Amino acid sequence: MKDSPARITLEEWDARYAELRVAGLREPWYGGPLRRHVDEGGDYRLLRLRYDNSAAALRLWNFLLTEEDRLKEARRQGKKLVGAMKDLGTVPVMAYSLANVTAFYPDGAWWIPCVMELSSRDLEIADSLGIDESFCPVRAMLGAFLTEAHFPIPDLLTCNVGATCDDFSAIAQRLNGLGFPILWWETPHRRQPDSAAGEESVPLPGGLIAPREQVDFVRSELERVRGAIEEVAGGRLDDAALRDGIRVANRMRRVLAELRQLAYSAPVCPIPALEMLIAEMLALHFCSDREEAIRVLEELLEEARRRVGEGVGPLRKDAVRVFWVNPVADLRAMNILEDCGGRVCGTEYLFSHALDPIPEDVAPMEALARTALADPMVGPCSDRADRICRDIQLFGAEAVLVSRIPGASHCAVEGAVIHETVRKRLGLPVQEIEVPPLCDAVAPTIRTRIEALIEIVKGRRKP
Amino acid sequence: MSSVLYTCPFVPAEWILAHGLSPQRFLPSPSRDGDVFAGVGEGICPFARAAVETACTEPGAAALVATTTCDQMRRAAEFAEAYGRLPVFLMHVPSSWESAGAHRYYRGELKRLGRFLEEVGGRVPSSEDLAAAMEDLDAARGALLDARPGMTSSQFAGAVAEFHRGGVLPAGLPAKGNEVGSGVPLALVGSPFFEGHLEVFDLIERLGGRVALDATTSGEGSWPRPFSRRRLREDPFDELADAYFGSIPDAFRRPNSLLYQWLKRELQTRGIRGIIFRRYVWCDTWHAEAQRMKEWCGMPMLILEPEDDARLRARGISRIEAFMEVLR
Repeated sequence: MKDSPARITLEEWDARYAELRVAGLREPWYGGPLRRHVDEGGDYRLLRLRYDNSAAALRLWNFLLTEEDRLKEARRQGKKLVGAMKDLGTVPVMAYSLANVTAFYPDGAWWIPCVMELSSRDLEIADSLGIDESFCPVRAMLGAFLTEAHFPIPDLLTCNVGATCDDFSAIAQRLNGLGFPILWWETPHRRQPDSAAGEESVPLPGGLIAPREQVDFVRSELERVRGAIEEVAGGRLDDAALRDGIRVANRMRRVLAELRQLAYSAPVCPIPALEMLIAEMLALHFCSDREEAIRVLEELLEEARRRVGEGVGPLRKDAVRVFWVNPVADLRAMNILEDCGGRVCGTEYLFSHALDPIPEDVAPMEALARTALADPMVGPCSDRADRICRDIQLFGAEAVLVSRIPGASHCAVEGAVIHETVRKRLGLPVQEIEVPPLCDAVAPTIRTRIEALIEIVKGRRKP
Repeated sequence: MSSVLYTCPFVPAEWILAHGLSPQRFLPSPSRDGDVFAGVGEGICPFARAAVETACTEPGAAALVATTTCDQMRRAAEFAEAYGRLPVFLMHVPSSWESAGAHRYYRGELKRLGRFLEEVGGRVPSSEDLAAAMEDLDAARGALLDARPGMTSSQFAGAVAEFHRGGVLPAGLPAKGNEVGSGVPLALVGSPFFEGHLEVFDLIERLGGRVALDATTSGEGSWPRPFSRRRLREDPFDELADAYFGSIPDAFRRPNSLLYQWLKRELQTRGIRGIIFRRYVWCDTWHAEAQRMKEWCGMPMLILEPEDDARLRARGISRIEAFMEVLR
């Protein structure tokens, strides 16, 4: 069996899967050939993607694409489901601290139109509710709630508001207006402590700071969430349980940190951009099974270690090192970068706070409040740009690609600030693209812009 | 007195006045061409852009106070701070309002605003200063409402804008009780207006209607409830915070049930027969309410999306004409 790393199509995966089986592949219960997600689940986008050919990647994809089954099984087992909206990595950590609670991320529905190539009609439902294409693709979530075709209706629905994006807040309000009760919890716009006024400065993950007043406020908001989870779970979510929950979440974050370090800084890229995007997304909510999510990432890390050790990978050694800003609504965009001769060397998908370790040296609710306040979206764009510049230097990226989210209220200004900061501070070329849920129609434009970026970088390289 | 500019109804004019500064709640000018947003592509709300451009080119202004009631304004304020010439204060107004913590946070933000106002030349306010400012502006708002029946809707809208801009009652308000309004009573709901907005009111009047309720973010619906005289004497700051944060209905609030409760009452009280709903492109907050409100209100509703400079164009005028024809 040929075992060298490669990016392969779904057709090629059919043969590869058979090979792996013959070679003794052992899979978890959700395993199987990727093609079944097209044939049985209608995930037609899979036909258009290129995948890493490792067994670890197969497991990652199968894990991602079977989340709905896990949620249904959790409900069947009598577990309580918490839908944590606009919350990238805080409420799920709390929810998973109780054995009889499973959290998921309804916002993840934004990939449904892409993965199902619009066959799910979720965007049409959003349209019919007055939430048209001028909103971020997360509007697909409305359709997902109304059809109940993609996830069960949770027992508790929480939504982080305040200094978040208007798109999501407005869409969640529309959902609430349709009769779905929501526990709203607030995160204020993160600001600098006013030392002249004697405000205490509190360190946050990611090298940020915030005034004590803001941390205390978010902690009190999260206390309301804790109360609601306890009520729905019928049990106490005490600090000891939360500490354990944070410890496990950090275990996952450590695995992911090493994986990112290898994938983004090794001379030969060991894991392609698409699989790395999925891996990073798992950190948000564990894809509805915390322990298995860690095992999935550990296997991917093992594969990355092996490949880095052998100096092999699915991409060329001279691939241009690109830092990617913002998540994409169409997974295919990640393939396009690599097709054009690039590789991802660093990412900022708007949830860096879900990747940074949660502090373990303070009380758990305090730690979670600090984590929530470190959300790049709640602070000034300049904070986000600073972090991006630091990570660019950490991973040695040669260029930056800012992927605008169609309709998102924050992208216009944020993109300009990031562009300006990176260019002035690091002198790197920056390119902006916009990626809709299905980018096929604009793929030539995206490709042209990325090719231009790649050419610029190659032209700047010393011979 | 140095002026402090702002557009958000959750910034209490009384608080600025009590600091010895002049509150100017302005409507942005569509014609200003600033360079604050040079390099920013499409996607920015025209109101947020114009508000910051207007503030940054306003002669004699001491500061700009922006709020987080909309994400676009929050980020536009960051631009104003980085590239404009005015000191900028960004005040976090919690979207959620059902918890005591959110109310406390708003009070804390007012105190922080107070420190900023002192830094830009304001004085430390006494309770008496604040109570006096509250009494004055409360009385002014009451007088405006009393005078409303004696004004056309266009005159009333002009008087409200003048009051917001200058903090004092316009001269020559009619006496209470005179009724001049006629025509089909309409409500305007949605995004705030730009300067020069009275043409919409005039057009509606020419077509046989009248705006009996201005429920836009720049209208009377953005006023706090009348102050309690007792609480004003006992603890004016608390009463101020409670009246503003506890009563102003707005689409951005979570949940925004206060907006619908208030509208239900006012639509009924004022015998409203139709709604003209305005929202700017990229204003997600109001945009998301349009369809819901249409389903909810049980009366004809016209949705307008003004151009970037908020002027009425031929298409918008035709649509209002058609709407009025249906209602007359």
